[in-house]
Amino acid sequence: MKQRLQITRYQILLNILPILSIVLFAGLWILVSSGEGHIIPSPGEVYDRAVRLFEKPINHVSLGGHIWASMKRVLNGLVFACLTGIPLGLLMGWSKTANSLLKPLFDLIRPIPALAWIPLMTLWFGIGESSKIALIYLGTLMPVLVNTYAGVKMIPQLNIDVARVFGASQLQIVKDIVMPSALSAIMAGIKTAVGTGWIVVLAAEMISADTGLGFMIIRGSNVADLALVIFAMLIIGLVGAFLSVLLTFAERKLCSWKIEIK
Amino acid sequence: MENRNKVELHKISKVFLNGDSCEAAIEEVSLSVKENEFLVLLGPGECGKSVLLNIVAGLMEATSGEVYINGELCGGIHPEVGMVFQELGVLPWLTVRDNVALPEKFRGMSKKDRYAHGQEFIDLVGLHGFEKYYPHQLSGGMKQRVGIARAYASDSDILLMDEPFGKLDAQTRYSMQDEILKIWNQNKKTVIFVTNNIEEAVYLGDRIILFTAAPMSVRRIYDLKDLPRPRNYTDEKFLQIRGEINRHMDLVIQ
Ligand SMILES: Nc1ncnc2c1ncn2[C@@H]1O[C@H](COP(=O)(O)OP(=O)(O)OP(=O)(O)O)[C@@H](O)[C@H]1O
Ligand SMILES: [Mg+2]
Repeated sequence: MKQRLQITRYQILLNILPILSIVLFAGLWILVSSGEGHIIPSPGEVYDRAVRLFEKPINHVSLGGHIWASMKRVLNGLVFACLTGIPLGLLMGWSKTANSLLKPLFDLIRPIPALAWIPLMTLWFGIGESSKIALIYLGTLMPVLVNTYAGVKMIPQLNIDVARVFGASQLQIVKDIVMPSALSAIMAGIKTAVGTGWIVVLAAEMISADTGLGFMIIRGSNVADLALVIFAMLIIGLVGAFLSVLLTFAERKLCSWKIEIK
Repeated sequence: MENRNKVELHKISKVFLNGDSCEAAIEEVSLSVKENEFLVLLGPGECGKSVLLNIVAGLMEATSGEVYINGELCGGIHPEVGMVFQELGVLPWLTVRDNVALPEKFRGMSKKDRYAHGQEFIDLVGLHGFEKYYPHQLSGGMKQRVGIARAYASDSDILLMDEPFGKLDAQTRYSMQDEILKIWNQNKKTVIFVTNNIEEAVYLGDRIILFTAAPMSVRRIYDLKDLPRPRNYTDEKFLQIRGEINRHMDLVIQ
């Protein structure tokens, strides 16, 4: 009985701690911003700036428009990355020939950060949308591909043997055994890719763009509007967290059989 | 037709490479299974029974020797062969119903038809009401029964069963033994049944092949065609055969 009570108290504490850490953070922020030299705008100033943003949008694009602009770029790049990365990962995991042919290539390309491609991409695709999407594609392809490949490699031989004994064709094995087995690994890859894509899009927008959250930061920086910069940063954090929750939810839906095993 | 050899193994040997050393698992095993025969492979633990069955199924390659099915040399998976796996092989992302219907899915049968077909066997193994359950919601014994239902539902002429009742409690085990005999009687399948349980072997088999401990080779063959069915565990003849096999079975200290 006593034991149980203590556990509940501990549970309550665990629920309070996150709120506490946010309050502490806000307090620290207020403290720092009210100090000498105005290192950082106060929460109040950021709030006022946000309100003004709704009255007078930047570049005639609303906040939602900027968020959507960044998201759309990530989404476009990611879709291409999935369309090529998943089949390639499956192929490399499934066929030793394909793997020994392609792996050295990818091993070489993988350590190159997406940002290192900026000059080439700008040269080939200009400074418009396509070069940004190409950059995001390059950044998101590897996590998707590598995770798919690892997912295929982790499939128990027994599951494949079951399909073989009961007369599955190669295509059926890939579709009915390999795909579902590798699904949670693929989802993990997509989750990582969204994180990477989010980094790349901001960097790309900070270099050249007239919409997007990265552009908002650069605009704020150029006109010494630190409140705008901080507000954009907060939005970036929120959107990133939201995307992560969304993907975890999607993963749970798609791999419901797996979650319950834990 | 009754006496045609359905499956024939000719001097099957299997050697595993373990780093630098070679480990012989099977040594020149030859045997044949008649059409519609219920053959039991009996051997001590880890003697190589699963390896042999995997070779018959075409899932593993023998180091030397040949497998013939219907008199023809067989170099891999054969469409007439179905299997119950010792490690179950029940797919975690499929419901009971979809697991059982898997072989028919690969044959291109429509969802409605294969569910209807599979239902018969789900009922047979006593899983009625669990059709929409996922494997992680089932007990070990229930999962094993999913694997059994799937093999039955595949309508294979040759049924390979690798210790299919190993994870069942004694009571379920007895009733499943009777069920397999019933299915075998009704549909006249050729069954190769692996076990390490002497009693089970004598209860089920037309013939029992007793194997030595690893490396596996044939020790003795017992013909039980004259032991009438249904058999009785306490029958005098039953006990006598059981005792005789017991004397010849290798002891394996685990
Ligand atoms: N893929 C493999 N690679 C190497 N060695 C293997 C492999 N498969 C089986 N063996 C070895 O072959 C031997 C026989 O294994 P097997 O699984 O056939 O035994 P078994 O008779 O089925 O045992 P049990 O009654 O416990 O199921 C074991 O020593 C095992 O370690
Ligand atoms: Mg075994």
